[in-house]
Amino acid sequence: MEQIGYETGPKALDAVFAALADPTRRAILSRLAAGEAAVNELAAPFEMSQPAVSKHLKVLERAGLIERGIERQRRPARLKAEPMAAAVSWLEEFKQFWSSSFDQLDGLLEELKTAEQRDSGHE
Amino acid sequence: MSEGPTYVLEREFDAPRALVWKAWTDPDLLTRWYGPRVETIVHRHELKPGGLWLGEMKWDGKSNYQRVEFTEVTPPERLVWLHSVSDGDWNVVANPMMPDWPRVLLTTVTFEEDGERTRLRLTWVPHEASEAETACFAAALEGLDKGWGAGMELLAELLAELQA
Repeated sequence: MEQIGYETGPKALDAVFAALADPTRRAILSRLAAGEAAVNELAAPFEMSQPAVSKHLKVLERAGLIERGIERQRRPARLKAEPMAAAVSWLEEFKQFWSSSFDQLDGLLEELKTAEQRDSGHE
Repeated sequence: MSEGPTYVLEREFDAPRALVWKAWTDPDLLTRWYGPRVETIVHRHELKPGGLWLGEMKWDGKSNYQRVEFTEVTPPERLVWLHSVSDGDWNVVANPMMPDWPRVLLTTVTFEEDGERTRLRLTWVPHEASEAETACFAAALEGLDKGWGAGMELLAELLAELQA
């Protein structure tokens, strides 16, 4: 079972950003954000041939940004970027959680050290 | 046995090890720094193997719960625990935003003495994770390592914009 969204080494991430660099593909994603659509439905507003749209969909699919349905005729495309983006930003949040906490710990340790020095000074 | 994907965070503190250890293990001190700019409540804190640290953090008017089970407590040098997100009844739950995020992360914190300073090293490894959980964590790690974090934020913003 292939989980496209999570098979994301750095190369796959390069593919994501390469895929997003093209305005037509961003427009296709924008359309898919409103709901899944088949190739002919996507081709109409862009005044493009279906093969041209299919090519763009392949790039998006390889980047893990969309997935295609299994219906033989229609194969509707669906947006699929969130899992990967979410995974990275979640870990980023985790990291920031600790970094900010550590900053606060720095302050607390400073306070505790000062208190200890004051106490020992009284002895 | 392979270690699997590991996240490492290192930090040096300008304080002797005994003091850093105390700040990490005394619940009254813990609430004063743990959780950035959020209200932190420690509901339970049993500093021993098998003991629980049940914590609540409030942000955006919402309570977030975490369940920590200590597996190793070696003062003043090593602290190991199983870290999970939990519901209000302290049951381990999946991340609602990301079902494949590892439910349990084995967290190891080591405190290394360096004169009057302390070097701290914190690692996370998915614990008894499914293949999907490990893959999700590994993907996030790679993204973070390569500095894709900011790029991913842009991507998330773009997606939010597209969905607006």
